[in-house]
Amino acid sequence: MKHNLEKYTISFGLSLAITSLFSALLVVLKELCDHSVLVWMSKATGHHWMTHGIIDVVVFFVLGWFLGTLNGGRGVDISAEKLIKTLVGSVVVSGLIIVGFYMVDMLAG
Amino acid sequence: MIKFADVALMTHATFGMLCIIASVWVFVDTLNVSQGNLVRIKLMSRAVTGCMWLAFLIGGYWYVTYYYADKALILKGPWPFAHHLVMETKEHLVIMLLLLTTFLPIAASGDLVANKSARNVVLWVVGLIILTGILMEGSGAIIGMGVKLAVLPK
Repeated sequence: MKHNLEKYTISFGLSLAITSLFSALLVVLKELCDHSVLVWMSKATGHHWMTHGIIDVVVFFVLGWFLGTLNGGRGVDISAEKLIKTLVGSVVVSGLIIVGFYMVDMLAG
Repeated sequence: MIKFADVALMTHATFGMLCIIASVWVFVDTLNVSQGNLVRIKLMSRAVTGCMWLAFLIGGYWYVTYYYADKALILKGPWPFAHHLVMETKEHLVIMLLLLTTFLPIAASGDLVANKSARNVVLWVVGLIILTGILMEGSGAIIGMGVKLAVLPK
């Protein structure tokens, strides 16, 4: 084992990194994509933002649990340093994707 | 008379601020971790999660129920970017913040006294929570200003 972190710290940390990027890409997808995704998400719960939130929370928990079951139940084996870099990098990139998208969208009118 | 929508909005901002305060508490306690404050770190990590979920659910209810009226005002006012850029960004970044705060008690569940790696994960996560939380509070202020400027006499 390369790390000395708890199994679920790693699996949910990685899940957070993946879900964060997924959420940012879902923003771009639903706003572009000829609005068909946005319409579906709006119809699913009554508001696209509610659907977005529910999808993200479900993906986070399911993925976190799943990553914890890998390697015969021992979970993913990565160092704490790599986990921190992945997590922080993902959150920063996701934030920039969202801000950048709405900035471009606003400037384009 | 104070409207329910206004109470909901103020409660949302209050829980957001409490989340930031609790996060700063966790950050400082983790920097000075010992057997004496380990239980408190774990309890405060859960308080961060609880405050954020309350802020999210109350704010989310306000957003889907009442925001349309403020949005219409903002778009007619001098600060349309308060919706186009700030609110649109805030409503999606806040989901990331919700997940960060949900992860915090999981990260803080290890032995933070003996395990430096676990401590570093907590410090980075709670640092992101504090920065994103402040960004959210600031965004809320800009959105509120967007409404205020729209209704002020010209």
